[in-house]
Amino acid sequence: MPVSALRAVSKSQNGVGAFILQCKRMEFNFCDWAGSSKGMRHDRSFLKHSLSQFARQNPQIEIIVAPRPNKIPIIRGTYINGREKVIPVDGLEIQQILQKAQLLRNSSGTKLKRITRPVISLNESVRGIFSPFHGKKHVI
Amino acid sequence: MLLLRTIQRSLPRLQATDTRSFLKTLSCATSRFSLPTLSRTIATTPHFHTLLTPAETSPPTSPPPKTPPTAQSNAAPTLHESLTLLTALKAQPSKYITVKIHGFSFLLTPGDKVVLPFLLKDVKVGDILRLTHATTLGSRDYTMKGNPYIDERLFECRATFLEETSEPLRKKEKKKRRTRRIKTVKSKHRYSVLRIKELIIIDVPPAVAAATGNNTTT
Repeated sequence: MPVSALRAVSKSQNGVGAFILQCKRMEFNFCDWAGSSKGMRHDRSFLKHSLSQFARQNPQIEIIVAPRPNKIPIIRGTYINGREKVIPVDGLEIQQILQKAQLLRNSSGTKLKRITRPVISLNESVRGIFSPFHGKKHVI
Repeated sequence: MLLLRTIQRSLPRLQATDTRSFLKTLSCATSRFSLPTLSRTIATTPHFHTLLTPAETSPPTSPPPKTPPTAQSNAAPTLHESLTLLTALKAQPSKYITVKIHGFSFLLTPGDKVVLPFLLKDVKVGDILRLTHATTLGSRDYTMKGNPYIDERLFECRATFLEETSEPLRKKEKKKRRTRRIKTVKSKHRYSVLRIKELIIIDVPPAVAAATGNNTTT
């Protein structure tokens, strides 16, 4: 019987070999006129103060800054799984906006899910499924 | 073939019952690395280390120190036996480890994703953590139990810090009878997610000797 390879689909296990940050793009939108964008656009504000340092610390993330007139300021994060996360930052100060940016950076794009069991595994059980015919014999 | 395997599995288990009773008698002197013959369980002494940051230290609790002469005379054969058993454990194809993180214990195999029920502070996404507090190291036919933890020089278990997520917002409405007022309590707990990178068992004589030698000298 010739030896042949098994066809198998590779299972993504980010972090086992190399780790790839799931957030690939962040877009900062603000309005030049409206007051809720003050934390974003004014002097000594997020875009002029904190954004360059944030971008330098995360070279893997593509950062776009664009005005979005007559709308509230938002941060839009795009992830490798194709999903987008939008966080409104209207009325927030610099530190708060930075916190939201960190939140987007630290998350993967998956939808928030309630976790009942902590361990998620693709491996079969190491000790196998119980069999009454193997192991210590029960003496009556 | 199957019969052979079953006999193999049953034989060591019988020995394991003996070892348990043997270990119970020596419970007062658990500071020694004592290994009864032909057992499939290895008990080691407590070995406490910080898990992640230097700031976190677990309180050292040691059993009452005692120096029975019998264990010292068994020092040479126990090392060899423990080494062969550990090598057998290492040679098996799949292994698991029961690790304690901040008191929570998780049974893990390499490649698993662990959603911790809390947020790990002082760690950034992408960092690699070394898990040192293991209560059990096992495979299909062999189990190594720590007392209460396994000496961390005998294994290497690393995890990558994947992400900081949270559960979806959940609201609990609290209302008393015959009252119209409804109180709403919101919860959105934050979680950290780790991925187990690797689980390596170190059975080289220097590591095992260091683990046992350290205990025989105390």
